[in-house]
Amino acid sequence: MEKVCVLGAGSTKYGKLEDSISDITVQASVDAIENAGIEPKEIQAGYISNVFGVADKQVHLGPVVMSNLGISECPSLSIESACGSGSVSFREAFANVAAGFYDAVLVTGTEKVTHTGTDWTTTYFSYCSDFFYEGQAGASFPGLFASMARAYLHEFDATEEDLASVAVKNHENGFLNPKAHFRKKITIDDVMNSAVVASPLKLYDCCPFSDGASSVILCNEKFAKEHSKDYVKVIGSGRGGSPAALQGREHLTTIPSTKIAAEAAFKMAGITSKNVDFAEVHDCFTVAEVVDTEDLGFFEKGTGATAARNGETKLNGSISINPSGGLKSKGHPIGATGVGQIVEVFEQLTGQSGERTVNDAKIGLTQNFGATGASCAVHIFQSV
Amino acid sequence: MQFISFKVCKLSAKPEFIEAAKAGNVLARKCTKCDELHLATVYFCSKCGSKEFEDSILKGTGKVVTYTIMTVPPAGFEDLAPYAWVVMELGDYDLRISGFLPDIQKPEDLPIGTAVKVVGFDDRGIVLKKL
Repeated sequence: MEKVCVLGAGSTKYGKLEDSISDITVQASVDAIENAGIEPKEIQAGYISNVFGVADKQVHLGPVVMSNLGISECPSLSIESACGSGSVSFREAFANVAAGFYDAVLVTGTEKVTHTGTDWTTTYFSYCSDFFYEGQAGASFPGLFASMARAYLHEFDATEEDLASVAVKNHENGFLNPKAHFRKKITIDDVMNSAVVASPLKLYDCCPFSDGASSVILCNEKFAKEHSKDYVKVIGSGRGGSPAALQGREHLTTIPSTKIAAEAAFKMAGITSKNVDFAEVHDCFTVAEVVDTEDLGFFEKGTGATAARNGETKLNGSISINPSGGLKSKGHPIGATGVGQIVEVFEQLTGQSGERTVNDAKIGLTQNFGATGASCAVHIFQSV
Repeated sequence: MQFISFKVCKLSAKPEFIEAAKAGNVLARKCTKCDELHLATVYFCSKCGSKEFEDSILKGTGKVVTYTIMTVPPAGFEDLAPYAWVVMELGDYDLRISGFLPDIQKPEDLPIGTAVKVVGFDDRGIVLKKL
């Protein structure tokens, strides 16, 4: 198996963007190509992750991106796995480079939905659930995670304020991120007083619907060394699955796919959660970050909310969680998010993250899931 | 040519499942090899991999495991909010089902453990009622 490296990364701002989905996808790809210091013609395949291209009148994005990069002959494909599309796409690219099929590939995640309005997005996102049992019966994604939050608050010694502290912390980090959707600090009172969306979750427990695109160049180590530029090694990659519907899960305070993916990624990397300096995790809702940090082994089950409240997950706390601002503050363009997490890790490990830098970080982890964690991918990266 | 099995389940048990829900019941499939119970919408046993099942009609009563009260609903549910979406455990069986429960205003209306039952199936999916 070839050693696989991230050679460059780029991203649009996340938020409400005016440009079309094809334009933002190309912009992020160009950023990554320039950041990597390569020529488009060196790219041998393109992996594009996207969920709702149909909302901006463009599916089959791969050939459009490749044509705009002047490499229309280059093969490409589109991958959809709900909110986990980006990391799954990255994983497929990783596997193909590791297997020796390609020396260098482009991985770009993208989404453009804000022009459709909250009603459209809430409804269409619910199609990512096990629709027969969930979306069809009136459950939105805030509703499904609210059901997990209620189970968590019922089972463990945690409060809604503890969950709110996750949002406060992620907004603090996002305030330092020029590309974040929201660059605004908030308080626990702001969260507690925001409108209830699906009890017990309030508006500020929820990440926004965002537009945005993120891109990385993935290559084998020989290619990386030939380009004599800072790169980051991919040392672990794992995927996992969970019952698609919450009703199929024995416990509602854990996400099985995260545990399966993490175990595989840690095994490949030959490390444990204790060796990780920081992590970008899937905090689509505050409760999700709490559950993620437990499932990844950073905290014991049932203690993640208290740990967040005590500041352990802050920037340069005992384990920095979501230094980018996470989905909550940086934003959640669903097809781009998994790639965006990897962009953040690359920037952190190559000294490109400015004020939000995690001190002395050598190992970063990303965890990105689809829907309520029905699918998940975990990746681990190490600086050179 | 030898077939692997003649007892292949139907392509979809959803029509029968929906009919059962309309009658207040839950159509389940019990694995004939390991006894694991599943909702009738599966094709292979998640425990042992077998596809030999016996249909069993379960009474649709049980208790609330968790729920949310939806105040920002998806399309089609605008006039129904607030309502609850509930995960319930079916009676004495190790099996859960979820559904729509109308007219729930606040958490005090539906503590975890509240007795509920399946009462129907329509364009709101599986419909539940407080007992």
